[in-house]
Amino acid sequence: MAAFLARRIIQMAFVALLVAFATFFLLYLAPGGPIQQLKAEQNTTRRLNTDAVQLVMKRYDLDIDILPRFTRWLIGQPRGPLTIGGQEYFGATKIGCLEEGQVEMQYPDGHVELSNCKTPVYLNDLKGRAASNGILALDFGLSQQILRDRPVSDLISSRIGNTLLLMGISTFLAIFIGVPIGILSAVKQYSRFDYFMTTLSFFTSGMPTLFLGLMGVIFFSLTLQNAGLPYLPPNQAEAARDTVVPLFGNIVAGSLGDRIWHLVMPVTVLTLVNLAGWSRFVRSSMLEVLRQDYVRTARSKGLNERMVILKHALRNSLIPFVTLLANVLPTLFAGAIITETIFSWPGMGKLFIGALQASDYPVAMAFVMISTFLTLIGFLLTDVLYTMVDPRIRLS
Amino acid sequence: MAIKAADALSSAKAQANPYKAEGQWTIVFRRFRKHRLAMISSFLIVFFLLMALMVPLIAPFERDAINADMRYSPLMTPDTVDGRIHILGTDHLGRDFFTRLLYGARVSLTIALLVSSGSALIGMTIGSVAGFYRGIVDTILMRVLEFMATVPDFPILLVLAAVLNSDPKLLPIPPFVASLVSNLMLINSKEARSVIVVVFVLTLFGWTGMARLMRGMVLSIREQDFISAVRSLGANDLRLILRHVIPNSLPPIIVAFTLSLAGALVSETALSFLGLGVTDPTPTWGNMLDFTARNILVAPWATLIPGIPVVLCSLAFNFIGDGLRDALDPRLKK
Repeated sequence: MAAFLARRIIQMAFVALLVAFATFFLLYLAPGGPIQQLKAEQNTTRRLNTDAVQLVMKRYDLDIDILPRFTRWLIGQPRGPLTIGGQEYFGATKIGCLEEGQVEMQYPDGHVELSNCKTPVYLNDLKGRAASNGILALDFGLSQQILRDRPVSDLISSRIGNTLLLMGISTFLAIFIGVPIGILSAVKQYSRFDYFMTTLSFFTSGMPTLFLGLMGVIFFSLTLQNAGLPYLPPNQAEAARDTVVPLFGNIVAGSLGDRIWHLVMPVTVLTLVNLAGWSRFVRSSMLEVLRQDYVRTARSKGLNERMVILKHALRNSLIPFVTLLANVLPTLFAGAIITETIFSWPGMGKLFIGALQASDYPVAMAFVMISTFLTLIGFLLTDVLYTMVDPRIRLS
Repeated sequence: MAIKAADALSSAKAQANPYKAEGQWTIVFRRFRKHRLAMISSFLIVFFLLMALMVPLIAPFERDAINADMRYSPLMTPDTVDGRIHILGTDHLGRDFFTRLLYGARVSLTIALLVSSGSALIGMTIGSVAGFYRGIVDTILMRVLEFMATVPDFPILLVLAAVLNSDPKLLPIPPFVASLVSNLMLINSKEARSVIVVVFVLTLFGWTGMARLMRGMVLSIREQDFISAVRSLGANDLRLILRHVIPNSLPPIIVAFTLSLAGALVSETALSFLGLGVTDPTPTWGNMLDFTARNILVAPWATLIPGIPVVLCSLAFNFIGDGLRDALDPRLKK
């Protein structure tokens, strides 16, 4: 077990590092970000001088090559020349370029050849420059666009509550409703109920979340509101001001009732979408168990059907349930990107999309890294829990 | 029509020679026809594909023709300029919805087809080589599959799409590919870029499932007796794989392919909806949904116009896949 854990953790670290580097590299190549925005904002009255650009570049490490930039983001190093016993080494190593060289050649296809770097950046220049402690120390750096110069962790902590609320409730409901449906479908296989549920789950799983969400907005918000009936809010997590809703009366902004009122639709959509998966999973696992010999033994020794199902079949059919944990953990954090976008739900998924659209790369990186980490933890937990609930399985 | 003709033909054949066994695909087709929803879905998909094929003949308006006087006009409104009828009304810029829906069908369905066939092709090749030869290819494939399974693919896919869309230099596209895609989808070659990015990204994340499936099938088939029999007859590996292994592993691949069409269609819709897929002047069902959803307060029902085809196609592909699963291998039926 210990050896297995050690090996898995090393593997996980490797995967996480690979994802981190690949994503970082991609975003390094991408244009956009603060400089592009500054350039887009300049006009006749607001000119942009080189000093200002360089200041921003230094602020966000945009002048440094990918490898040192990556390690600074990952572990907060290097922060200057290597110092051993008061002696500084490698201070003159070039690690980036603050100002590109002159254009030497410009080809018709847009390819440009530059002369050597005009203002190179050396390791010495990093001395005294502000740096994050690295994401390994859970310092995700500063947001560049969405909340400029505020720590990414502020953004995350302001959003994560909403996502946990939404995902927690809908996951709970999906399990709470989906599992009994799955059991009943399996116990009464090929009954009318089973056919109905199988068809229904087929429809909801084939139905894009996008469409389901938009339909919800059209019917339950717009149509009902126009008809003067009690309606549900189409977006946001709480109202900006008090609202009067027919039958419900006055809903005070930010009150518990307001929050619940806003939760109903996104939770319903997510639950409907996830319900199918859970009930199908339980159904097939239950059918598998019902075919086992020990179920026949239980029946043949005269137990009533209720006992057979609840005590012998159900408990064993829930063993594979553990595998689903690997998926639940990261989604609790990451939220449902599309659902959150449709309902403008101020959660993590919406934040991520916003970060990608606004080229706020530290935020996007933080999101990807935390999701990766949680996914990996989910897999590890699954494996470990599996040995606990099913003693036949040994980790080696 | 074609089905009835084929049916008549096969029954005529059966009468002519009552001892001649039914062909494998005839049996499959006979079983498939029993799945009523799958049959309806097939007709639906054929209908959509035909519409998409004949876009230039059907489309009543220019794809990007803007009429600023007619923003969000309702169904069946005559145009203010020449009185032609906007069957499904107009969008936020006064462009004809019906025309854009047709062109969108062309783009969206072609993207789905390209992604699914690309994933199937890559997955089948790598999967069969890995399963047949084992060794280093298999080890690498398994590592890659493990890696892909343990990372959150949707966020990374979104990052990739966002980055590739933002800078044309990052994914150099050979001109012939661009012109091929632009001819396939009736778009100009500048617009082809974002379409190719979507196809590339979705294929990159789509092939692993196919490869895993193929590998599993090949692993079980290569151990069977008929393979040793064919080998002892002197068949080389290429012939073995192409003539015996792949045809025998096709049934689950065909089912997976059909289901992946639904997946690719919905993914394209989702990407474009999030603004990271195909961008505006090029119509796809996804970005039409994006714009109608943004103006949902102005014209709520407009969302249905691109929404319904997406749902219908997604469900139809799922039903066809289900029907094929039943038809190809009754033992797989749950």
